[in-house]
Amino acid sequence: MNISHNWLQTYFKEKIPAPEKLAELFTFHSFEVEGMIEIKGENGKIADTVMDVKILPDMAHYCLSHEGVASEISFITGMKMNDRLAPEIKATIKDEPKVEIEDPKFCRRYMIRYVDIGSSRPSSSPDWLKCSLEAIGQRMISPLVDISNYVMYDIGQPMHAFDADKVKGSLKIRLAKDGERITLLDGRELILTAKDNVIADDEGPLVVTGAKGGRRAEISETTKKIIIESANFEPSAVRRTSTKYDIRSDSSKRFENEITQELASQGMANACDLVRSVFPDAKFGPIVDIYPTKPKQTVIEFDPSYIEERLGVEISLEDSKKILERMDIVVSSTGSASKPFWKLSIPYKRLDLVIKEDIVEEVGRIYGYDHVIGILPMKLKQAPDANPTFYLCEKIKNILTAEGFSEVILYTLVEKGMVETLKPLARDKAFARSDLTHGMASCLEKNALNADLLGLEAIKIFEIGHIFKKDSEEIHLAIGARQVKKVKGFKSEDLIKRALETLEKELSSDFSENGIFSKAKIQTNGIVEIDLSPAIKSFKPSKDVKDLDFRPASVNRYLRFSSYPFIVRDIAVFVPESIQAEEVWSSIEKGIKDASANGLLTRHSLFDTFKKEGKISYAFRMIFQSMEKTLTDSEVNGIMEKINGEVKVEGWEVR
Amino acid sequence: MNPIKSAVTGNEIKAGHLHPITQTIREIYSALYELGFEVALGPELEYEYYNFDALNIPKDHPARDMQDTFWVKGMSASDRGPQGQELGRRLLTTQTSAGQVRYMETHSTPLRTVVIGKVFRNEATDATHEAQFYQVEPLYVDKKVSLAHLKGVLEHLFKKLFGDKAEIRFRPSFFPFTEPSVEVDVKWQKPGESEPRWLEVVGAGLVHPSVLKAGGIDPDLWQGLAFAFGLDRIVMLKHGIDDIRLLYGGDLRFIHQF
Repeated sequence: MNISHNWLQTYFKEKIPAPEKLAELFTFHSFEVEGMIEIKGENGKIADTVMDVKILPDMAHYCLSHEGVASEISFITGMKMNDRLAPEIKATIKDEPKVEIEDPKFCRRYMIRYVDIGSSRPSSSPDWLKCSLEAIGQRMISPLVDISNYVMYDIGQPMHAFDADKVKGSLKIRLAKDGERITLLDGRELILTAKDNVIADDEGPLVVTGAKGGRRAEISETTKKIIIESANFEPSAVRRTSTKYDIRSDSSKRFENEITQELASQGMANACDLVRSVFPDAKFGPIVDIYPTKPKQTVIEFDPSYIEERLGVEISLEDSKKILERMDIVVSSTGSASKPFWKLSIPYKRLDLVIKEDIVEEVGRIYGYDHVIGILPMKLKQAPDANPTFYLCEKIKNILTAEGFSEVILYTLVEKGMVETLKPLARDKAFARSDLTHGMASCLEKNALNADLLGLEAIKIFEIGHIFKKDSEEIHLAIGARQVKKVKGFKSEDLIKRALETLEKELSSDFSENGIFSKAKIQTNGIVEIDLSPAIKSFKPSKDVKDLDFRPASVNRYLRFSSYPFIVRDIAVFVPESIQAEEVWSSIEKGIKDASANGLLTRHSLFDTFKKEGKISYAFRMIFQSMEKTLTDSEVNGIMEKINGEVKVEGWEVR
Repeated sequence: MNPIKSAVTGNEIKAGHLHPITQTIREIYSALYELGFEVALGPELEYEYYNFDALNIPKDHPARDMQDTFWVKGMSASDRGPQGQELGRRLLTTQTSAGQVRYMETHSTPLRTVVIGKVFRNEATDATHEAQFYQVEPLYVDKKVSLAHLKGVLEHLFKKLFGDKAEIRFRPSFFPFTEPSVEVDVKWQKPGESEPRWLEVVGAGLVHPSVLKAGGIDPDLWQGLAFAFGLDRIVMLKHGIDDIRLLYGGDLRFIHQF
């Protein structure tokens, strides 16, 4: 929400803190300031600063307005706010609008009066009003609409004005009839249902209550007489309708967060005062005020030592009281010095203050959370019991990583499954996965393509995760292996078989149930998936978590890897037996340097050596890859030529 | 255990890599275990009751807007909880806080637990947002719990995670399930940066009495503290990872770096 620094200043005689300082105070005592924009005047100097403040739901009862935000300045600094009550304007015309409320639980207060705006009518709002609204990013519409908006951003009470001559018969706040239509101010037509609240006249809906006005009784340049409305509506009903039709507005936002019914009279008084100042000939009718149930004032009674206890800081009752009194909370103390007891009377607008914990927060944030000094909870005599699921899963992870398997965590939302989400992010993410195997299969596939790059003969991975069936959620383990380097008589499944045997051996003492791992069926795609639930159920929870022997976590910084394809090249060099592999490699490296290709060699390894007739052959595998582009064969051929050249200079033979 | 030999070369096989999320969970777990916190794991498919109602987030309340939820199609909405309460519709859990009341229902006071789990938000994904991520949520219920305890536990944890120089500060905030609520900043000097910076990483507070009541705990006798943070962000900060999607891509070029 945009808040103007100049506007805030109008609530105080004293100079309020400068924008930067104010932002800091708000951040540590009230709410976040998400941005600040300086507004330049005609002379190029800074005329105003607008702060974008983030008001969360609790403070939204009283802080979605300049007055609310100004009150925070007063709470924090102790500066006194001006008395800004608008004078009451007496009725000089007799007419009063007829109005009927169908549901007093929904329409909690309804104030209206006629205003004859007279002949002296400016075509645009006065400069000060224009400056204020434009600073916070509001468009100027017409003086009457601008006044309504101003009152809302000033004190937080949404206002509405009808063209009185366009209203046929009497007003009624009622549920819409199924199929009733309304054309909104922006031209959109809504077809309403019997769950939506409207303000209607004898001909039909004029306003979608609390959210958006309709075109039929819209104020125009020729409007002579208006009905000013200041009302209060039940939050969740406004919210349901505004959400359903996507017609959230600054007005519905305030009703949805709930504001006090008491504010309506202030809204009416302020709006009328402004109308009179802009339209000097305006004549006002009597105020019709339908107020079914005036709210009871909230009273919180408690032992105030609770404040100190919960905050964990030393703060005197006197200091707490001062903070609360700045908030216009009436503190009456009935207990004794040794056994204090407080009765707090809460201002109507502070709908966020209901229980004593709310008071702890008010004192805490204004006093300053920087006073809190950390302490640790008391040591326990006995270490807590191990959580069987956690213990088992972590132990499996230890065993499998020791077996050379790496852990992956894949996506839960996938293309197919048994449990479907209502509004999927994408068509291929509409379901919660019903197994781990599908994800694991494509994960194996993708990683197999990078086996050379990773320097792996086999891709070995596992995942432990939740899967979702029609009526159950299970924790599964999937292990996947893909032997990339072909070996006669050796299959990917053999890698998994070994892992399962180890799991069974290492874990058998922890369970009463046997064969959970060793009897699991390995699928032909080199994946096994096991439901861990029986293992968890039969787990003997006597284990100390320290047995898990967590290794220190990696402190490595992530290095970006190339997303372009790589090229593999092998080279075998025949050299006299006395020559070491390192010497051969440094000659190869020289060649790579000659080709200015240092940055392109991602990995190399000596993968084969053999001796023959007093000579030795060293075979190296090199992986070339660029961070910026796809390497071409001819580029790598160029590098190989330079390498061959260097090797030949040494008098060695490239095989 | 015998070292494993490669079927091809006969060389010893190198150990595999644990996912950096697991590694960080273990660090957090170890730090909190020292203070007597045991792990609690909740379901990922949750009831509306535990995810919202029990956490003092009424229906049609603006606080429900604070998270975009994945609701699940056509699952029975007639299930009831241990106190006979309606459990409502099913959803992919949006917050580990959902595990709080579940834990209170099944354990007796005092409580020290840390809920760890995958959570889901219906948000467009990019380098810093994922529809799935991990949360960690310690909960401590005892007699006379205060914000000073909250700060103490946070300091202990974040000094273990970010080193002894890490500092903690509170700013006012709002969560329906805590009162008072605070936003927690951690001061940390990233490797390669010359100055430490304040990072907003944790939401915290004292457990709201309504939540204790929902868990069958008398708030006049017991109080609690709770905080929650996104694990992915911590992992990303610690390792300098610039794209959250790397965590769930299953790419060994990434995982083998840790």
